Amino acid sequence: MTLRTAVRRPTAVVAERQATRARRRRTGWLGLAYASPAILFYGYVVIVPLLQSVNYSFYSWNGVTAARWIGVDNYVRFFTDPALSESLVHVLVLVGFFAILPILFGLLSAALLGRGRVKGRGVYRWLLFLPQVLTSVVVAIIWKRLYGPDGPLNEALRAVGLGNLAVNWLGDFTWALPALGLIGTWTTLGFCMVLFVAGVAAIPDDLYEQARMDGAGPVSEFFAVTLPGLRGQLAIAITLTVTGALRAFDLVWITTQGGPGSSTTTPALLLYRKAFLNPDVGMAAAIGIVVAVFCLVIALIVNRLTEEKNP
Amino acid sequence: MISKAERTLNHVILAVVSILVIFPVIWFVLTALSPESSGRIDLTRITWSNFVTAWQAGDFGQAMIASAVITIGSVVGQTLFAVLSGYGFGVLGVVGQKFIFPIILLGLMVSSEVFIIPLYYQFQAIGLTDSWLGLIIIQIGMGVPFGVFWMRATFRAVPRSMIEAAQIDGAHSWRILWGILFPIARPAVFTLILLSFMWTWNDFFLSLVFIADPSKQPATLALGVFQGQHSIDVNLLAAGSLIVALPVLILYVFFQRHFIQGVITGAIKE
Repeated sequence: MTLRTAVRRPTAVVAERQATRARRRRTGWLGLAYASPAILFYGYVVIVPLLQSVNYSFYSWNGVTAARWIGVDNYVRFFTDPALSESLVHVLVLVGFFAILPILFGLLSAALLGRGRVKGRGVYRWLLFLPQVLTSVVVAIIWKRLYGPDGPLNEALRAVGLGNLAVNWLGDFTWALPALGLIGTWTTLGFCMVLFVAGVAAIPDDLYEQARMDGAGPVSEFFAVTLPGLRGQLAIAITLTVTGALRAFDLVWITTQGGPGSSTTTPALLLYRKAFLNPDVGMAAAIGIVVAVFCLVIALIVNRLTEEKNP
Repeated sequence: MISKAERTLNHVILAVVSILVIFPVIWFVLTALSPESSGRIDLTRITWSNFVTAWQAGDFGQAMIASAVITIGSVVGQTLFAVLSGYGFGVLGVVGQKFIFPIILLGLMVSSEVFIIPLYYQFQAIGLTDSWLGLIIIQIGMGVPFGVFWMRATFRAVPRSMIEAAQIDGAHSWRILWGILFPIARPAVFTLILLSFMWTWNDFFLSLVFIADPSKQPATLALGVFQGQHSIDVNLLAAGSLIVALPVLILYVFFQRHFIQGVITGAIKE
């Protein structure tokens, strides 16, 4: 390539480059025509309202009477008013259940499963991935029942003589949030496992042979070969599960509606309430912006961390 | 290659986790088939009548039609726009794409919460709340980032020489797209259709915000209402849930590879 261009006379190169650029410019307008329906819909549904959201977030507005400019007050209030900021603490707990637990467990199982091809892995994969395709409403209903006062979980506890441990899990101030979190674990666990096991299978064999020749045991092999090899998959798993926890709405809405008290409120739940139930629209918009910025920052950090060391 | 003990261990791990994952679902299916409204499972008296009762009590017929209309409209729009814009961005190039494309990719990372409030007021002003068309428009707009990203990657993987050969033969861009590129891209388009079907059918939040009229509710929303009214009839609740989940489950049974690969590779390329 370089050789051929070097031999060619510069004027010819320049002329050719101009020709390509001209062709690009011509097809560029054609391309814009093809892309314009998508761009218009996207702009109308996503981008314009997104910018308006930023604008809304600087106002105090009840949705009916005139809005009043209050600067960054909504943001300050979101982070300082305990009734609002506690939702961020809840999100941290949910991150533990939605993200950290399934990822650690997924890594452990990927390490244990190693590279052996298991018979019938198609069936396992089908089962493990199933919670991903169930609609969140159904997931919420299933678990609401499992956790119910006379649901299977409590009956199992009573059956083994631990009846005094039985509580109404989703209606209990201490247990509601972790119980909610475990539903998240259930939905993301299989996804992480499928993702990591597929990732391990894609790591080149010679890396493992190399490690074994260097005398690595199973544990050091995991940290030297498997974990670095799963960097891309880890990035996806972290981004998707953490942002999933940040955005949790459907599950919470169907199971606890933020209760008991305010023990399971999430930012998305507060946003819905403040936007549509007892309007404090500016605050709702500010919460939306904060959540979006968090999601964006997490995606960027994770990308940076996992991509930097790539060869 | 691996020892027998290792192989057994692998099966044990996978089986234990699979059972943990599948147990709640199986238990729910059995509840839906049992006659007792307390939710106690009774396999000696299996009955299908819960499905009929739930279907009538929850008005699921109407809700399933609503879901079908919304989903089909959205999937058709999303897929068509994805193919057209994927061709624009991936093959022809788009004027100002250095600026436009990153803005579109941004949509993969922000979710509906951040734009839903102004959108609601915008739609209210022009009468698109409480409307299937309104939801379809939102779904199409929201589906653009993934669609563009997915089809652009697909078309870029097609050898450039095929397109150039067609150009030399004098084929127009429209013919190149539908005559040459689309047939090659068909498996990817099919995966896109399945994913967008699943995402639209399973939506709850958008419908909750935009549809208040009970006669226009899609199935997920109707199920949410149903569970509020029938929380003591556990077997009916289970049957209703299965009805709502069924269309996506059927697709998942037949095309699991598309679903899993779509979700995973879609996420990886992001």
